[in-house]
This record gives sequence, structure tokens and C-alpha cells, in this order.
Amino acid sequence: MGTSMRLRALKETVKEALKVIYYYKLRTAFSLLGVAFGIMAICVIVTTIDGANRKAYEIFETLGPNSITVFSGGEREASTRQRFYTLKREDADAILRVDGVYEVVQGYLIRDALVKYLDKNWQTRIEGVTPNYFESLKWGLSQGTYFTEEDNRQRRNVCVLGHKVYKELIGEGEAQGKVVVVKNSPMMVLGVLEERGGGGASHIDDRIVVPIATATERLRREFTYLTYIRVKTERDVEETMDDIRALLRRNHGLKEGTPDDFTIRSSRDVIEFLSVIKGSLYLFLGTASAIALLVSGFVLSNLFFLSIQQRRRDIGIRRAYGATRKGILSSFLLESVMVTLSGGILGMILSLLSKRVFEDLFDIPMYYSLKVVLLSLLFSFATGLLSGLRPALRAADLQPYEAIRG
Amino acid sequence: MILLEGVRKSYYVGEREIPILRGVDLSIQRGEFVIVSGVSGSGKTTLLNIIGLLDKPTSGDYTFMGKKVDGLSDEELSNLRNAHIGFVFQQFFLLPYLNALENVLLPLIYSKKGIRHPREKAKEILTRFGLKDRLYSRPAQLSGGEQQRVAIARALINDPDVILADEPTGALDSKTGSEIMELFRQLNQEGRTIIVVTHDPKVQAFGKRVLRIEDGYIYEASRP
Repeated sequence: MGTSMRLRALKETVKEALKVIYYYKLRTAFSLLGVAFGIMAICVIVTTIDGANRKAYEIFETLGPNSITVFSGGEREASTRQRFYTLKREDADAILRVDGVYEVVQGYLIRDALVKYLDKNWQTRIEGVTPNYFESLKWGLSQGTYFTEEDNRQRRNVCVLGHKVYKELIGEGEAQGKVVVVKNSPMMVLGVLEERGGGGASHIDDRIVVPIATATERLRREFTYLTYIRVKTERDVEETMDDIRALLRRNHGLKEGTPDDFTIRSSRDVIEFLSVIKGSLYLFLGTASAIALLVSGFVLSNLFFLSIQQRRRDIGIRRAYGATRKGILSSFLLESVMVTLSGGILGMILSLLSKRVFEDLFDIPMYYSLKVVLLSLLFSFATGLLSGLRPALRAADLQPYEAIRG
Repeated sequence: MILLEGVRKSYYVGEREIPILRGVDLSIQRGEFVIVSGVSGSGKTTLLNIIGLLDKPTSGDYTFMGKKVDGLSDEELSNLRNAHIGFVFQQFFLLPYLNALENVLLPLIYSKKGIRHPREKAKEILTRFGLKDRLYSRPAQLSGGEQQRVAIARALINDPDVILADEPTGALDSKTGSEIMELFRQLNQEGRTIIVVTHDPKVQAFGKRVLRIEDGYIYEASRP
């Protein structure tokens, strides 16, 4: 058989399979949906895990491996996202004297602040920081300048916009010298930070950075407490963390046996935290998708058996007119694989459509790559092949005269 | 073209042997129009299945187109069926999800003959059979006689050497049945070899040569 004839035969077989799939609509719909949900779950898992990895990598890259962050409030408060202010400015000064520590950034966060520019409003967060914040994060500017130590000392109403805020409020053109209103205080824009997050659920670019004294004393009338202190050390990270913990417990007058009223995280902890999330994702969604695929494969297999009973004559006629055993086998497999592959594609589309829901649920941006597509296609192909194999073998093994008798 | 020598066929129910054909000797030449008659259960369908390479004899020799059939692989048998035989069945057996034209084209999916302009050829045959306006109808929309004519068109599309028909008029009223048999007679006059299995005495009148199966043996009832 020549190549062109082989190609024509393949085209005919595919066309026929399409007709059969359409004729048995209900069976097709059931199998398709089952596979679609399974593949959707797989897509969500893989993209979320890839997203978590990228986020972890980004954080590691941004903070550096020698970075330690201390938050106000103990572990329990941190997990409920409540704010208890326990870190003081003097804690930051004390930490700077810890052996090995060569950089301390103070931070004060104001969440959900309304910012106005002309007739536009935007809800974002205000991050009050010491001026060494930018260098510490190696965060460059797309335009303008940073604020200075002098700005901080004078509690000047100046700010640097995150890329997202700039896009939302000003849109384009020069930002420097424009005045935005933050919580009823006018603030002069000095510059715009370069874009860092990969879009999606990433909050990195959605912030306004102001001098810490401006944030605490002008916007909040806060003269003592801080949200976080970020530290860099040239010593071993674990040892430095132990020293800081001991220092803070002493300064806060915590007795032995009482829990910390602060939370210390190294950038490695952040990665570990994300890997815990990844673990539960694997477990939860992995099980869900395995079950969905198994069930749909089982349903597909049984519906297939049924349809083979209905189509015995169909098989007999094809056999009489020259279909080989192999031909019957491959046409039934093709049919089953075409159904599950379409289910797989539908599943990918569903996962894309539900992207927002899952991103909000796990707070991790989903990352789609060629890998996800290939994996989904592979899994749906395998489901079709495996669930179609037994029925297809049965169909192929029917003796022609038996099949025709019906 | 078709040569059976001492062909036996038995089915087994558990250990028990049920003989269907007890030793059939039969030779059919190109261009014949043969009617095989017999009461139901006499083994005529089994004989037709063996001739049509759909079933294998338990013992005896079958030579088809000069080739000993015994020991051929599934693929070789399939290819022989496709290249040389056209089947017509009592219940028409058209595929419900294909229209008339597509049903006629079905054998060409498996054909290696490289039939030229298959769609034109299929339309031509269907038109000749009076189905010009039914080319795109599904089997369910066709009458019994129309369905059987589509089935015969399907049997012809790949230029077979022999057409095997199993009770082709069994599901039709007698007028339509006669029309179908008339069609077979025309095809035979054009030189095609035709073998029809039937229990209907009226159909027997169409054959040039009539065989009768009884108790697993075959008898020559009339010969031109």
C-alpha cells in the first residue's frame, strides 16, 4: 500500500470514527465530561505547583539566601492573618547590633488603602519602609527616583508607585511630580518601580512605597510599632535567627515557656512553606484527578462494551467487507482515544476558565506551560487507550460469522 | 472459481458434536447464477459463510480463486473477501450512522484496488438502481427494498468476482423481492457470478442452477 493510500485510509477511518462518536452522543458526552474533569484537576495541580515553584524561586531571588524576616505577632496570629503589633523601632536598632547582621530594613504595612488620582480610585496597600528597602530587594526604577533618608527624616509626603498602581491610576507618561491622594493625604510621586510579578495573582507590583516615618506618623499616628523587620546576615542564617530570637524574647520580657510574640522566617522557610502547600495539593487534587480519570475510564470502558454489543453487526459487516482483526481493533481504539483526547482538551479549557477561582483558593498564580499541555494530552490518551483496549480486543476477536448473526 | 471437496462442518455444544455439513462437494464456475435452497437449519447459511470465508470448515478442502483457503491468516482472508466477494444479507445490514452513499463506499475503506473516482462510481450504481434521490438518506429513512438495493450497490462497488446473498428477499414483500431477484438476474447477464441462499421456492425460479441442501448433504436439483 502506498503512502497516499495509507493516508487516505487513515482519513477515512478518522471520518468514520467521528460519525460514530456523533451517533452515540450520550455515551460520548458522559465519557468526555469524566475525562474533562480528571484532566482539569491535573492541569490545576501541575500549573499551581509550577506556579508555587516560580513564586518560591522569585522570593528566593528577591530576598536572597541570607535574608531573615521578623513579623509582628506570633505563629498563631500569623496564620489567621490578624495583626498584633509587637515589634518596636528599638527592636530594629537592637537587631542591627547582632553579630553578622549588616542590613536592617524596617517595614510598616497599611492594607486596603484607597488611593486617588484625578477621577480614578485604586485599592492597594501602602508599604512604609526605610530607604535601604530598594537596594536590599535590588528593585530598580522604570522612571524617576527613590526617596531618601532626608525624605524619611522630614516625614515628607512622597511615594514610589508599584508598576500595577502606576498602570491603574496614571496609565502612561511621566509619573514624577504627579500628586496622588492616599487616605486623604496628598503625596508627590517620585518614581515608578520596574515590573516584577508575572501578572496573574501576583501582588508584587500592587503597592505604593513611602518613607516609613510618613506611613507611621503621618498616615497612622503610630510612633512605636512596626509590621516587619527584614535582616541580612553574613553569618550562618540559622545561628543568626537563634540570636535574634533570644534578643527579642529578652527585650519583650517573655518568660520561659511562653510562645514568641513574633514570627521569624528565613527565605528557606518560605520555600518550605510553599512546598507544604505543594504536598497537600498533590495529595488532594492528585487523588481527585486519579479518581475522576479512573471512574471515567471505567464508565467509558463499560459504555464501550455496551456499544460493541449493539454494533456486533456493524463489526460483522466490516469484517465481511475486508476489515482485518487489526483494522477493527485500531478503529475502536481510535474512537475511544478521540473521545478521551477531546475530553482532555475540554479539561484544559475548563482549568483555564476556572483559573481565577483556584488562584484565589490557593493564593498561588497558576503557571501554564507546554508541559501541562503535553501531560494532559498524554493522560487523556492513556485513559482512552487503556479503557478502550479490552472492549476493542473483544470486538476484534469476534468471528465474522458470529458478528453478522448479531 | 469455487471448489469444495469433502467439506464438513460441525458445531460443538459442550462435548456434543452437532454436524451441520456432512461432506459437501461443490464446484462453481465464473458466470454462474446458483440458488442454494433448503429448509431453515439445513446448513445453507453455514455453507455460504464457508464459501464467503467468514467461517472455516471443520475438515475438507476449499479452494477459492485457485487458492487453498486452509491455513490462511486473518489478514489474508480479509483481503480475499475484500477483493473478490460482495455480500448481501437478509436484514440489509447497512450502518445506521452512514448515509446511502457512504454505506456503498464502505468496502473501499479496506480496498487495495485503487478504484478510480469512487464517489462517482457509487452514485452511478445507486442511480442505476433508482436511488438517485436517496443518495444522502440514512438507512432508517429508506424502505426495505431501497435498503436492499443500497446493500447490493455496496456489494458491487469494489468489482467483486462473486456476490453472495443470504435470503436477500426474506425481509421484503413478494413484489419487492421479485424486483431484487430481477436485479440479480440482470447483474448475472452482465457476467457476474451470483450465489443466492434461500428457502423461498418462488426465488428458485430465477436461478440457472439450483442446489438443495438436506441433512448436511448437497444435491443438484436442476442444472442448465
